Amino acid sequence: MSASEERTTRDARWSALMAAAQDGNARAYDTLLCECLPLLRAICRQRLRNTAEVEDAVQDTLLTLHRVRHTYDPARPFRPWLAAIAERRALDRGRVVARGLARNTGLEAADHVGVDGEAEGRVMSADLRSAVAELPAAQRTALQLTKIEALSLAEASARSGMSMGALKVATHRAVATLRRRFGMES
Amino acid sequence: MRSEDLVSQLSRGLAPVRRLPSPLAMLGLWCLICGAVIGAALLISGLRSDFAAWLMDGFDLYHLVMAALVALTSGYAAFQVALPDRDQRWALLPIPAVIGWLVTMGWGCLADLARLGPEALNITVSYACLVFIIGLGVPMTAGIVRLTRHAALLRPTPVAALGGLSAAAFASIGLTLVHELNAAVMVLVWHGIAVMVVTAIGALTGPLLMQRAPTA
Repeated sequence: MSASEERTTRDARWSALMAAAQDGNARAYDTLLCECLPLLRAICRQRLRNTAEVEDAVQDTLLTLHRVRHTYDPARPFRPWLAAIAERRALDRGRVVARGLARNTGLEAADHVGVDGEAEGRVMSADLRSAVAELPAAQRTALQLTKIEALSLAEASARSGMSMGALKVATHRAVATLRRRFGMES
Repeated sequence: MRSEDLVSQLSRGLAPVRRLPSPLAMLGLWCLICGAVIGAALLISGLRSDFAAWLMDGFDLYHLVMAALVALTSGYAAFQVALPDRDQRWALLPIPAVIGWLVTMGWGCLADLARLGPEALNITVSYACLVFIIGLGVPMTAGIVRLTRHAALLRPTPVAALGGLSAAAFASIGLTLVHELNAAVMVLVWHGIAVMVVTAIGALTGPLLMQRAPTA
Protein backbone atom coordinates (compact mmCIF):
# COMPACT_ATOMS: atom_id res chain seq x y z
CA MET A 1 0.00 0.00 0.00
CA SER A 2 1.42 3.42 -0.96
CA ALA A 3 1.83 6.22 1.57
CA SER A 4 -1.08 8.21 0.13
CA GLU A 5 -3.35 5.14 0.18
CA GLU A 6 -2.33 4.50 3.78
CA ARG A 7 -3.16 8.07 4.64
CA THR A 8 -6.53 7.88 2.92
CA THR A 9 -7.37 4.68 4.77
CA ARG A 10 -6.29 6.19 8.07
CA ASP A 11 -8.32 9.38 7.46
CA ALA A 12 -11.43 7.32 6.70
CA ARG A 13 -10.82 5.27 9.84
CA TRP A 14 -10.40 8.40 11.99
CA SER A 15 -13.59 9.90 10.56
CA ALA A 16 -15.49 6.72 11.41
CA LEU A 17 -13.99 6.62 14.92
CA MET A 18 -14.92 10.26 15.55
CA ALA A 19 -18.47 9.67 14.29
CA ALA A 20 -18.73 6.74 16.71
CA ALA A 21 -17.30 8.91 19.51
CA GLN A 22 -19.96 11.54 18.81
CA ASP A 23 -22.52 8.79 19.36
CA GLY A 24 -20.98 8.09 22.76
CA ASN A 25 -18.61 5.21 21.91
CA ALA A 26 -15.88 5.70 24.55
CA ARG A 27 -13.67 2.97 23.17
CA ALA A 28 -13.62 4.50 19.69
CA TYR A 29 -12.81 7.88 21.25
CA ASP A 30 -9.95 6.47 23.30
CA THR A 31 -8.52 4.66 20.26
CA LEU A 32 -8.85 7.75 18.08
CA LEU A 33 -7.21 10.13 20.55
CA CYS A 34 -4.34 7.71 21.25
CA GLU A 35 -3.73 7.29 17.50
CA CYS A 36 -3.81 11.07 17.04
CA LEU A 37 -1.28 11.89 19.78
CA PRO A 38 1.82 11.58 17.52
CA LEU A 39 0.22 13.91 14.96
CA LEU A 40 -0.74 16.40 17.67
CA ARG A 41 2.80 16.34 19.07
CA ALA A 42 4.24 16.89 15.59
CA ILE A 43 1.95 19.89 14.97
CA CYS A 44 2.72 21.44 18.37
CA ARG A 45 6.45 20.80 17.96
CA GLN A 46 6.43 23.02 14.87
CA ARG A 47 5.51 26.00 17.05
CA LEU A 48 7.08 25.11 20.41
CA ARG A 49 10.56 23.93 21.25
CA ASN A 50 10.30 22.88 24.89
CA THR A 51 9.04 19.29 25.28
CA ALA A 52 6.95 20.15 28.35
CA GLU A 53 5.32 23.04 26.49
CA VAL A 54 4.59 20.75 23.55
CA GLU A 55 2.90 18.29 25.89
CA ASP A 56 0.89 21.09 27.53
CA ALA A 57 -0.25 22.27 24.08
CA VAL A 58 -1.22 18.70 23.18
CA GLN A 59 -3.31 18.50 26.35
CA ASP A 60 -4.89 21.90 25.66
CA THR A 61 -5.78 20.55 22.21
CA LEU A 62 -7.35 17.42 23.68
CA LEU A 63 -9.46 19.51 26.08
CA THR A 64 -10.61 21.84 23.29
CA LEU A 65 -11.32 18.94 20.95
CA HIS A 66 -13.42 17.34 23.69
CA ARG A 67 -15.50 20.51 24.15
CA VAL A 68 -16.13 21.11 20.44
CA ARG A 69 -16.45 17.49 19.33
CA HIS A 70 -20.05 18.14 18.24
CA THR A 71 -18.78 20.53 15.53
CA TYR A 72 -17.10 17.74 13.55
CA ASP A 73 -18.97 16.74 10.39
CA PRO A 74 -18.30 13.03 9.62
CA ALA A 75 -18.83 13.75 5.92
CA ARG A 76 -15.61 15.80 5.95
CA PRO A 77 -12.02 14.62 6.61
CA PHE A 78 -11.04 14.50 10.27
CA ARG A 79 -7.38 15.51 9.99
CA PRO A 80 -7.87 19.19 8.92
CA TRP A 81 -10.42 19.60 11.73
CA LEU A 82 -7.99 18.20 14.28
CA ALA A 83 -4.97 20.05 12.88
CA ALA A 84 -6.78 23.41 12.96
CA ILE A 85 -7.53 22.97 16.67
CA ALA A 86 -3.97 21.83 17.45
CA GLU A 87 -2.43 24.74 15.57
CA ARG A 88 -4.62 27.22 17.41
CA ARG A 89 -3.74 25.78 20.84
CA ALA A 90 -0.02 25.59 20.01
CA LEU A 91 -0.12 29.22 18.89
CA ASP A 92 -1.83 30.24 22.14
CA ARG A 93 0.68 28.25 24.19
CA GLY A 94 3.52 29.90 22.27
CA ARG A 95 2.12 33.32 23.20
CA VAL A 96 1.95 32.30 26.87
CA VAL A 97 5.57 31.12 26.73
CA ALA A 98 6.69 34.35 25.06
CA ARG A 99 4.90 36.41 27.71
CA GLY A 100 6.43 34.28 30.48
CA LEU A 101 9.90 34.75 29.02
CA ALA A 102 9.43 38.50 28.92
CA ARG A 103 8.28 38.48 32.55
CA ASN A 104 11.21 36.29 33.67
CA THR A 105 13.64 38.58 31.89
CA GLY A 106 12.20 41.41 33.96
CA LEU A 107 12.66 39.43 37.15
CA GLU A 108 16.28 38.61 36.29
CA ALA A 109 16.96 42.28 35.73
CA ALA A 110 15.55 42.95 39.21
CA ASP A 111 17.70 40.27 40.87
CA HIS A 112 19.88 42.81 42.63
CA VAL A 113 16.87 44.31 44.40
CA GLY A 114 16.41 43.05 47.99
CA VAL A 115 18.69 40.69 49.86
CA ASP A 116 20.16 38.33 47.28
CA GLY A 117 16.81 38.14 45.45
CA GLU A 118 15.46 36.56 48.64
CA ALA A 119 11.77 37.17 47.94
CA GLU A 120 11.92 35.76 44.46
CA GLY A 121 13.93 32.83 45.70
CA ARG A 122 11.26 32.05 48.25
CA VAL A 123 8.43 32.26 45.70
CA MET A 124 10.22 30.21 43.10
CA SER A 125 11.53 27.66 45.57
CA ALA A 126 12.31 24.29 44.14
CA ASP A 127 9.85 22.63 46.52
CA LEU A 128 6.97 24.72 45.33
CA ARG A 129 7.83 24.24 41.70
CA SER A 130 8.06 20.49 42.14
CA ALA A 131 4.73 20.44 44.04
CA VAL A 132 3.07 22.37 41.22
CA ALA A 133 4.61 20.05 38.64
CA GLU A 134 3.12 17.05 40.43
CA LEU A 135 -0.42 18.41 40.25
CA PRO A 136 -2.78 16.83 37.68
CA ALA A 137 -2.60 18.63 34.33
CA ALA A 138 -6.03 20.26 34.65
CA GLN A 139 -5.22 21.62 38.13
CA ARG A 140 -1.78 22.79 37.00
CA THR A 141 -3.27 24.58 34.02
CA ALA A 142 -5.99 26.19 36.16
CA LEU A 143 -3.45 27.33 38.77
CA GLN A 144 -1.08 28.66 36.12
CA LEU A 145 -3.75 30.67 34.32
CA THR A 146 -5.86 31.97 37.21
CA LYS A 147 -3.28 32.44 39.98
CA ILE A 148 0.14 32.82 38.35
CA GLU A 149 -0.86 34.63 35.15
CA ALA A 150 -3.81 36.20 37.00
CA LEU A 151 -6.14 35.89 33.99
CA SER A 152 -9.88 36.33 34.44
CA LEU A 153 -11.93 33.13 34.51
CA ALA A 154 -13.29 33.92 31.05
CA GLU A 155 -9.81 34.42 29.59
CA ALA A 156 -8.49 31.32 31.33
CA SER A 157 -11.45 29.36 30.00
CA ALA A 158 -10.80 30.51 26.44
CA ARG A 159 -7.10 29.67 26.76
CA SER A 160 -7.47 26.26 28.35
CA GLY A 161 -10.65 25.00 26.79
CA MET A 162 -11.97 24.25 30.31
CA SER A 163 -15.33 25.60 31.43
CA MET A 164 -15.29 28.36 34.04
CA GLY A 165 -16.88 25.99 36.56
CA ALA A 166 -14.19 23.35 35.93
CA LEU A 167 -11.51 26.04 36.27
CA LYS A 168 -12.85 27.16 39.64
CA VAL A 169 -12.97 23.59 40.94
CA ALA A 170 -9.51 22.73 39.58
CA THR A 171 -7.98 25.91 41.05
CA HIS A 172 -9.58 25.26 44.42
CA ARG A 173 -8.29 21.68 44.43
CA ALA A 174 -4.82 22.75 43.34
CA VAL A 175 -4.59 25.33 46.14
CA ALA A 176 -5.91 22.80 48.66
CA THR A 177 -3.34 20.23 47.53
CA LEU A 178 -0.50 22.75 47.85
CA ARG A 179 -1.71 23.85 51.28
CA ARG A 180 -1.78 20.24 52.44
CA ARG A 181 1.65 19.63 50.96
CA PHE A 182 3.17 22.56 52.84
CA GLY A 183 1.21 21.95 56.06
CA MET A 184 -0.76 25.18 55.75
CA GLU A 185 -4.18 23.62 56.03
CA SER A 186 -6.20 24.92 58.95
CA MET B 1 -0.20 14.16 33.95
CA ARG B 2 0.68 12.32 30.76
CA SER B 3 -1.39 13.04 27.67
CA GLU B 4 -2.28 9.34 27.47
CA ASP B 5 -3.83 9.60 30.97
CA LEU B 6 -5.81 12.66 29.90
CA VAL B 7 -7.11 10.69 26.90
CA SER B 8 -8.30 7.95 29.29
CA GLN B 9 -9.99 10.52 31.51
CA LEU B 10 -11.76 12.17 28.58
CA SER B 11 -12.93 8.83 27.18
CA ARG B 12 -14.26 7.55 30.49
CA GLY B 13 -18.04 7.98 30.64
CA LEU B 14 -18.11 9.74 27.26
CA ALA B 15 -21.54 11.25 26.63
CA PRO B 16 -23.05 11.26 23.12
CA VAL B 17 -23.35 14.69 21.52
CA ARG B 18 -25.78 16.11 18.99
CA ARG B 19 -23.93 17.06 15.84
CA LEU B 20 -24.03 20.68 14.85
CA PRO B 21 -26.22 21.28 11.77
CA SER B 22 -24.50 22.48 8.59
CA PRO B 23 -23.78 26.22 8.17
CA LEU B 24 -26.62 26.40 5.62
CA ALA B 25 -29.09 24.86 8.08
CA MET B 26 -27.83 27.23 10.80
CA LEU B 27 -28.34 30.15 8.39
CA GLY B 28 -31.91 28.95 7.80
CA LEU B 29 -32.53 28.91 11.56
CA TRP B 30 -30.95 32.36 11.90
CA CYS B 31 -33.18 33.75 9.12
CA LEU B 32 -36.25 32.33 10.85
CA ILE B 33 -35.27 34.01 14.11
CA CYS B 34 -34.62 37.35 12.37
CA GLY B 35 -37.82 37.02 10.34
CA ALA B 36 -39.77 36.54 13.57
CA VAL B 37 -38.11 39.58 15.18
CA ILE B 38 -38.77 41.79 12.14
CA GLY B 39 -42.33 40.44 11.95
CA ALA B 40 -42.84 41.41 15.61
CA ALA B 41 -41.45 44.90 14.90
CA LEU B 42 -43.88 45.22 11.97
CA LEU B 43 -46.78 44.13 14.18
CA ILE B 44 -45.86 46.75 16.77
CA SER B 45 -44.93 49.65 14.47
CA GLY B 46 -46.88 48.75 11.33
CA LEU B 47 -45.66 48.86 7.73
CA ARG B 48 -44.59 52.33 6.60
CA SER B 49 -47.49 54.16 4.98
CA ASP B 50 -45.68 54.88 1.70
CA PHE B 51 -44.37 51.33 1.29
CA ALA B 52 -46.01 50.51 -2.06
CA ALA B 53 -44.93 53.77 -3.69
CA TRP B 54 -41.50 53.49 -2.12
CA LEU B 55 -41.00 49.98 -3.46
CA MET B 56 -41.78 51.12 -6.99
CA ASP B 57 -38.68 53.28 -6.86
CA GLY B 58 -35.88 51.10 -8.22
CA PHE B 59 -33.16 52.48 -5.95
CA ASP B 60 -34.98 51.58 -2.74
CA LEU B 61 -35.62 48.05 -3.88
CA TYR B 62 -31.91 47.63 -4.71
CA HIS B 63 -31.07 49.04 -1.29
CA LEU B 64 -33.31 46.47 0.39
CA VAL B 65 -31.91 43.61 -1.71
CA MET B 66 -28.32 44.65 -0.94
CA ALA B 67 -29.04 44.84 2.79
CA ALA B 68 -30.55 41.34 2.59
CA LEU B 69 -27.44 40.10 0.76
CA VAL B 70 -25.20 41.57 3.48
CA ALA B 71 -27.33 39.93 6.17
CA LEU B 72 -27.25 36.53 4.47
CA THR B 73 -23.59 36.47 3.40
CA SER B 74 -22.25 37.72 6.73
CA GLY B 75 -24.47 35.27 8.62
CA TYR B 76 -23.32 32.37 6.45
CA ALA B 77 -19.68 33.46 6.81
CA ALA B 78 -20.09 33.56 10.62
CA PHE B 79 -21.39 29.97 10.68
CA GLN B 80 -18.55 28.83 8.41
CA VAL B 81 -15.72 30.60 10.26
CA ALA B 82 -17.07 29.27 13.58
CA LEU B 83 -16.08 25.75 12.54
CA PRO B 84 -12.47 24.71 13.20
CA ASP B 85 -11.69 23.24 9.78
CA ARG B 86 -13.16 25.97 7.58
CA ASP B 87 -11.03 28.47 5.71
CA GLN B 88 -10.75 31.85 7.42
CA ARG B 89 -11.25 33.49 4.02
CA TRP B 90 -14.98 32.80 4.41
CA ALA B 91 -14.87 36.01 6.46
CA LEU B 92 -14.39 37.93 3.19
CA LEU B 93 -17.67 36.65 1.74
CA PRO B 94 -19.83 39.68 2.71
CA ILE B 95 -17.40 42.24 1.26
CA PRO B 96 -18.95 42.43 -2.25
CA ALA B 97 -22.43 42.76 -0.73
CA VAL B 98 -21.24 45.49 1.66
CA ILE B 99 -19.64 47.36 -1.25
CA GLY B 100 -22.84 46.89 -3.26
CA TRP B 101 -24.88 48.24 -0.34
CA LEU B 102 -22.65 51.32 -0.04
CA VAL B 103 -22.65 51.88 -3.81
CA THR B 104 -26.45 51.64 -3.93
CA MET B 105 -26.79 54.21 -1.17
CA GLY B 106 -24.11 56.41 -2.76
CA TRP B 107 -25.92 56.20 -6.09
CA GLY B 108 -29.13 57.17 -4.31
CA CYS B 109 -27.37 60.23 -2.88
CA LEU B 110 -26.24 61.28 -6.38
CA ALA B 111 -29.75 60.75 -7.76
CA ASP B 112 -31.21 62.90 -4.95
CA LEU B 113 -28.55 65.54 -5.62
CA ALA B 114 -29.47 65.67 -9.31
CA ARG B 115 -33.19 65.80 -8.44
CA LEU B 116 -33.21 68.20 -5.48
CA GLY B 117 -29.86 69.99 -5.64
CA PRO B 118 -27.59 70.59 -2.60
CA GLU B 119 -30.62 70.41 -0.34
CA ALA B 120 -30.58 66.65 -0.84
CA LEU B 121 -27.35 66.42 1.14
CA ASN B 122 -28.75 68.05 4.28
CA ILE B 123 -28.18 65.74 7.20
CA THR B 124 -30.36 65.95 10.27
CA VAL B 125 -30.13 63.83 13.37
CA SER B 126 -32.28 60.70 13.24
CA TYR B 127 -32.15 59.07 16.66
CA ALA B 128 -35.05 56.82 15.64
CA CYS B 129 -32.81 55.03 13.12
CA LEU B 130 -30.00 54.63 15.62
CA VAL B 131 -32.25 53.44 18.40
CA PHE B 132 -34.14 51.02 16.15
CA ILE B 133 -31.10 49.37 14.55
CA ILE B 134 -29.03 49.26 17.74
CA GLY B 135 -32.00 48.30 19.91
CA LEU B 136 -32.94 45.46 17.58
CA GLY B 137 -29.44 44.62 16.34
CA VAL B 138 -27.76 44.11 19.72
CA PRO B 139 -30.20 41.46 21.05
CA MET B 140 -30.12 39.78 17.63
CA THR B 141 -26.31 39.79 17.79
CA ALA B 142 -26.58 38.04 21.15
CA GLY B 143 -28.76 35.47 19.37
CA ILE B 144 -26.24 34.68 16.63
CA VAL B 145 -23.41 34.70 19.16
CA ARG B 146 -25.30 32.01 21.05
CA LEU B 147 -25.73 30.00 17.83
CA THR B 148 -21.97 30.21 17.17
CA ARG B 149 -20.77 29.80 20.78
CA HIS B 150 -18.62 26.80 19.81
CA ALA B 151 -16.25 29.34 18.21
CA ALA B 152 -15.27 30.64 21.67
CA LEU B 153 -12.16 28.47 21.75
CA LEU B 154 -11.15 29.06 18.16
CA ARG B 155 -11.98 32.31 16.33
CA PRO B 156 -14.45 34.22 18.54
CA THR B 157 -13.81 37.80 17.40
CA PRO B 158 -14.31 37.46 13.60
CA VAL B 159 -17.31 35.21 14.17
CA ALA B 160 -18.91 37.69 16.58
CA ALA B 161 -18.16 40.62 14.25
CA LEU B 162 -19.71 38.84 11.26
CA GLY B 163 -22.69 37.90 13.41
CA GLY B 164 -23.07 41.53 14.50
CA LEU B 165 -22.95 42.69 10.86
CA SER B 166 -25.61 40.17 9.88
CA ALA B 167 -27.85 41.16 12.81
CA ALA B 168 -27.41 44.86 12.03
CA ALA B 169 -28.24 44.32 8.35
CA PHE B 170 -31.42 42.44 9.30
CA ALA B 171 -32.30 45.25 11.73
CA SER B 172 -31.70 47.78 8.93
CA ILE B 173 -34.14 45.86 6.71
CA GLY B 174 -36.67 45.93 9.55
CA LEU B 175 -36.22 49.66 9.96
CA THR B 176 -36.58 50.26 6.22
CA LEU B 177 -39.94 48.48 6.34
CA VAL B 178 -41.35 50.48 9.26
CA HIS B 179 -39.68 53.88 9.15
CA GLU B 180 -39.88 56.54 6.45
CA LEU B 181 -36.45 57.91 5.69
CA ASN B 182 -36.43 58.77 2.04
CA ALA B 183 -33.29 60.88 1.68
CA ALA B 184 -30.52 58.49 0.58
CA VAL B 185 -27.88 60.50 2.41
CA MET B 186 -29.81 60.04 5.67
CA VAL B 187 -30.06 56.30 5.03
CA LEU B 188 -26.34 56.16 4.23
CA VAL B 189 -25.29 58.06 7.35
CA TRP B 190 -27.68 56.75 9.99
CA HIS B 191 -28.01 53.17 8.83
CA GLY B 192 -24.24 53.13 8.23
CA ILE B 193 -23.38 54.43 11.71
CA ALA B 194 -25.86 52.09 13.41
CA VAL B 195 -24.58 49.05 11.49
CA MET B 196 -20.98 49.91 12.39
CA VAL B 197 -21.91 50.35 16.06
CA VAL B 198 -23.71 46.99 16.21
CA THR B 199 -20.83 45.23 14.42
CA ALA B 200 -18.31 46.77 16.83
CA ILE B 201 -20.44 45.80 19.84
CA GLY B 202 -20.57 42.26 18.44
CA ALA B 203 -16.80 42.10 17.96
CA LEU B 204 -16.07 43.48 21.44
CA THR B 205 -18.62 41.66 23.57
CA GLY B 206 -19.33 38.56 21.48
CA PRO B 207 -16.20 36.61 22.53
CA LEU B 208 -17.05 37.09 26.21
CA LEU B 209 -20.67 36.03 25.66
CA MET B 210 -19.48 32.93 23.80
CA GLN B 211 -17.18 31.99 26.67
CA ARG B 212 -19.97 32.39 29.21
CA ALA B 213 -22.49 30.37 27.21
CA PRO B 214 -22.52 26.67 28.08
CA THR B 215 -21.28 24.54 25.18
CA ALA B 216 -23.68 22.04 23.61
